[in-house]
Amino acid sequence: MDKQLDLLQGTLDMLILKAVSLGPLHGYGVLLRIQQISKDRLEIQQGSLYPALYRLEHQGWISSEWGESENKRKAKYYRLTAAGKRRLQTEAEKWNRMADLIAGILGTKPEEV
Amino acid sequence: MLWTPVRSWLRATLRRSRMENEMDAELRFHLEEYAEDLMRGGVPRQEAMRRARLEFGGIERIKEEVREARGVTFLDQLIQDLRYGARMFRKSPGFTAVAVLTLALGIGANTAIFSVVNAVLLSPLPYTDANRLMLVKEVLPNTGPEPFNVSGPDISQIEKLNHVFEGVGGFRVWTYEFFGKGEPDRVVADRVNSSLFDVLGVQPIMGRAFTPQEEQFGHQVVILSYGLWQRQFGGERDILGQTVSLDRKPYTIVGVMPQSFVFPLPGMLQGVAADLWVPLGLSKEELADFGDNFSYTVVGRLKPTVHPSQVNADLQLVAQGVLHTYEVWASEAHMSPMGDFRLGMVSMPMRDEVIGPLKPMLMMLLGAVGFVLLIACVNVANLLMMRAVGRQKEMAVRLAIGAGRFRLVRQFLVEGMLLAFTGGGLGLVFAVWVKQALAVRMPANIPQFHAVELDWRVLLFSFLLATMAGLAFSVWPILWASRTDFNPSLQESGRGNSQGPDHQRVRAAFVVIEVALSVMLLVGAGLLVRSFQRVLNTNQGFRPENVLTASIDLPPAEYSRDSLVDSFYRQLMETLRHAPGIAAAAGSTDLPLLGGWTHAFTAEGYQPPLPSGLSLCNHSVIYGDYLQTMGIPLLRGRYFTEQDGPKSTHVLIVSESLAKKYWPGQDPLGKRLKWGPPDSQDPWLTVVGVVGDVKQGALDAATDPHTYEPYAQLGSMPSLRIAVRGQADPASLTAEVRSAVWGLDRQLALGSVRTMDQVISRSTESRRFNLSLLSSFAALALILAAIGIYAVLAYSVTKRTHEIGVRMALGARGGDVLRLVLGQGLRVTAIGIVFGVAGALGLTRFLRSLLYEVQSTDPPTFAAVLLLLVVVSVAASYLPARRAARVDPMVALRYE
Repeated sequence: MDKQLDLLQGTLDMLILKAVSLGPLHGYGVLLRIQQISKDRLEIQQGSLYPALYRLEHQGWISSEWGESENKRKAKYYRLTAAGKRRLQTEAEKWNRMADLIAGILGTKPEEV
Repeated sequence: MLWTPVRSWLRATLRRSRMENEMDAELRFHLEEYAEDLMRGGVPRQEAMRRARLEFGGIERIKEEVREARGVTFLDQLIQDLRYGARMFRKSPGFTAVAVLTLALGIGANTAIFSVVNAVLLSPLPYTDANRLMLVKEVLPNTGPEPFNVSGPDISQIEKLNHVFEGVGGFRVWTYEFFGKGEPDRVVADRVNSSLFDVLGVQPIMGRAFTPQEEQFGHQVVILSYGLWQRQFGGERDILGQTVSLDRKPYTIVGVMPQSFVFPLPGMLQGVAADLWVPLGLSKEELADFGDNFSYTVVGRLKPTVHPSQVNADLQLVAQGVLHTYEVWASEAHMSPMGDFRLGMVSMPMRDEVIGPLKPMLMMLLGAVGFVLLIACVNVANLLMMRAVGRQKEMAVRLAIGAGRFRLVRQFLVEGMLLAFTGGGLGLVFAVWVKQALAVRMPANIPQFHAVELDWRVLLFSFLLATMAGLAFSVWPILWASRTDFNPSLQESGRGNSQGPDHQRVRAAFVVIEVALSVMLLVGAGLLVRSFQRVLNTNQGFRPENVLTASIDLPPAEYSRDSLVDSFYRQLMETLRHAPGIAAAAGSTDLPLLGGWTHAFTAEGYQPPLPSGLSLCNHSVIYGDYLQTMGIPLLRGRYFTEQDGPKSTHVLIVSESLAKKYWPGQDPLGKRLKWGPPDSQDPWLTVVGVVGDVKQGALDAATDPHTYEPYAQLGSMPSLRIAVRGQADPASLTAEVRSAVWGLDRQLALGSVRTMDQVISRSTESRRFNLSLLSSFAALALILAAIGIYAVLAYSVTKRTHEIGVRMALGARGGDVLRLVLGQGLRVTAIGIVFGVAGALGLTRFLRSLLYEVQSTDPPTFAAVLLLLVVVSVAASYLPARRAARVDPMVALRYE
């Protein structure tokens, strides 16, 4: 698929949680990680990451601390908290159920009705 | 879970600037990293930075979103709004000063009055768990429904027979001649039973309370009040066991009560705080006085399980039990049986008796001061409205660059609150000052057992008041701002005449409200002023100038024989009459305005409308030329003379109203009268003179019929009030009176030394207090209303300069314009007056209990208030009107 997909409403939070669940990351790192996992198929406006990060931190699902980046610069790192881990799990389950449901509905053939 | 956002918000708030820096650093890091990545891919530095920024998105918007996400925006914006508001206020100091001062006066006056209400009406009586204290009263169904206090022997019966009280205290107010270390002193004492202090929940700070044995007759022990201990003993530590003399008998001091202990309270029977307490010790005669002499007060403390509503039922049984004992006692004493004598008992919360009578007055003051605040709020709302209109452009610009309506509304609210709290803060300062002024003038009938203080309740009250005021006067600008379409004001050249007629009408309505409220307050104050004048002008019936009075009670122990009493008074009067500066000296059992005893009598030839009806009058026994000394005029017949004595015909002088009522249209001289009912065995007394009526109770109480009998005819009254008339200032006669008395008896205490002028002013003190407060509030209201009228007209003249210029260019003269503006002011005032009069007619009913010989609809008062308001309104309109009349048409037409 060439064309990048716009992010579905409300899924950015989940993606960020997933990204930092694989290890602490700074904001730019989160962006890179998501692009990497999605194989560049998702269009994320870079700036929109930050309000989401602050919101998640405000909710207590991720925590932050200042550290050093790979090229020796000060950067703010985010990691998943225990609450965030639970949150990611329930969100993922919800998402999968929903995706199955939608897929089921869209896959329905006329004779099945 | 819940506290994480709170903590993060709090942290964000506290370290706002740090977070701001961190956010900047974080975003910069992102941009630079991305740019470097691009540069590594071969993009030139300049281009890389540009693309990084472009792909990142609007950085300021994102920052704002981040701020919002972490939850500080609200506070940030609030602080912004506050700063902005404060700047706006600084820019128009005149407006700000008027608004803040107006509010400070309103809130301050309210706070001060509420602090009095708080101390008096809302605080418990100063005893332990005082809401469980009940007074017990006796009712004699044969005489009527109104409750009396209690007959002495019943105290112990109530204590024994009731099932609802855990303790029953009883006492009687008494006075003694006190002689300790210093000068002799007349003291107020309570004779108390041994449980009283326990019932009230107070213990002596030194020594002990009375024991049940001491409650029996003949135990000479005394407990001092803190005040007397300080006054007479300078707070000396080892006074327990010392003796003092009460009516020339030695009493041993066994205790001292705490400083905070005030008992009895004003409002209770003879509510004068006692100087000392002695055991009740009912004598044999007093014990035989059952079913009579209802001079004792009984206080019960409810058992924890008993509800006040259960008390009366139990007291009915107690009353039956008491009545039964009466029969036993009567037969034991070989007295006639009780016959159809009936007795009932009722109880009431002690609080009601003390506080109840003060409620109407304090509520009236609170209501009045509330009106003042309302006017202040209307005024400020009005001012804010005008400013809001002047800020249309600003609003339009703010909306255009993206502020939401909500933000505008909040701006108004924040500014309103800023004003309200600045005003409130200043108001507190004002309240402290008013409170001190009030404390000094507080009439004695307001119990001051709790200091009037700005405690947390008062502070909370003024905080709420300020909040409500802030909300109240922000509402209009907010309504306006959320409705108005600001776009035209951007397009227009900015003359700002886009305010619709609606807006003008709202502000006119404000003035109407102010005027109406002022009318109500002024009418209230006016009625009180008229009442006060009536009270002062009542014919008190005597000449108070230059009269000094004092009371003398000769202790029976020393003055055991009639001849000793008689010779004391003879010598005293002789000495006084010859003392320098004294023109006349005499005595009486009662003095005007200070009450007296009512006696039942039978007038010869008078048929009462009801066969069972008793005739009642005040009765004084007078010594020497009392009537002349007091300046009570003789209307017919003669005054008493030396010849009226025990051996001659028994004579009497009656007051004019008695003569008119009992012998209408007849010559009262020579008529006869006797004490008691028609079948009484008392001798007839012959009327030899008629004197003018005298106010015996308060100045504003009804005048009762009065009789006078000469001392010589009866002989030996150990207790007399003496009155001396001086040539000049009577207060300077005090020393003369003292030395005359002490020349005869060094230990004798003089009681209640005061001039008749002081007696009068004390009798009007409470009225004066109400009056001065209500008139200050009314004056304040009037000033605020005048400011309101002035502000509205001045503003409207400024806005209409152009129009006025056109009118003048078309030939209108200065006088026409003057009339135009004055007419506008008067029209609004007139509508306000109509509403105000309607309101006043509805509200002054509640003042009725405070009025004296004035109808609550008194036409002269209403007329005066109307006139005053018209004058004030013209005065307030005149300045703007004159300014309008002087408009130069050429300048006005150019004025944009």
